[in-house]
Amino acid sequence: MSVRSARAARGERRVQGPTALLVFVYGLFALSATARSLVQILRELDRAPVAYLLSLLAALTYIAVTVVLLRRGPGSRAALTVVLVELVGVLTVGTLTVLDPALFPDATVWSGYGIGYGLVPLLLPIVALALILRSRRRVARGTLR
Amino acid sequence: MTLVLSVVVYVVCGLTALLALYYAARDLAADLVLLGACALSLLVWFTEGAALALRDLGGGAVDDPVTLYGYLLTGLVLPIGAGWAALFERTRWGSLVVAAAAITMVVLNLRLPQIWAGGFA
Repeated sequence: MSVRSARAARGERRVQGPTALLVFVYGLFALSATARSLVQILRELDRAPVAYLLSLLAALTYIAVTVVLLRRGPGSRAALTVVLVELVGVLTVGTLTVLDPALFPDATVWSGYGIGYGLVPLLLPIVALALILRSRRRVARGTLR
Repeated sequence: MTLVLSVVVYVVCGLTALLALYYAARDLAADLVLLGACALSLLVWFTEGAALALRDLGGGAVDDPVTLYGYLLTGLVLPIGAGWAALFERTRWGSLVVAAAAITMVVLNLRLPQIWAGGFA
């Protein structure tokens, strides 16, 4: 029996407590950012190629985090990696949009550190990172699977 | 009509969000009351969306139909997903998911008239 099905048989879930909320918000961002970037790219890529491709990158990052949290759980190395990538992405794009607005004729999800989305794109990886580090400490202590 | 429905969506989703936050603060899992509020949010959102769609089909000129229907669809998925999550996650965190969904629906509702002002005129 695989680890996964053994856990399922014991009625345990990897996604529980605060992770459930995190997965919901990441799933929402994955859905909306993907829809938004695909519409922008299919409709008028020429207008702001850098912005729209970065929107797509943000969307793919949100999908990756959602899937990794669901399948591997917050204590996994993969979760730590994808959330760090996300944090670097939002910090880099956020800083670029402030320093060189000409590069972005249209906004991305990460423009101005996600100001268009109530700064949630900036807060999300920080909250996720806190949760992931807590999970990893528990895994190390053996108090959590 | 759509304007009235829009106000109803604000009220129902706003109250659902407050109720969900209260549940989370009191460390309560979602019960039938909160799930009912969540279902009511879905119902009023669906009604508003149907009214807007009818208006569009009846000869309205939506500037950006893809975005409009994308928003309407997202608003339908949110309470369904949140209700499902609250059923599985029977702690305050499940209630917080309902709060997150309801707050997002209020924000989506704010954006609707910006996407299609004519739909609410």
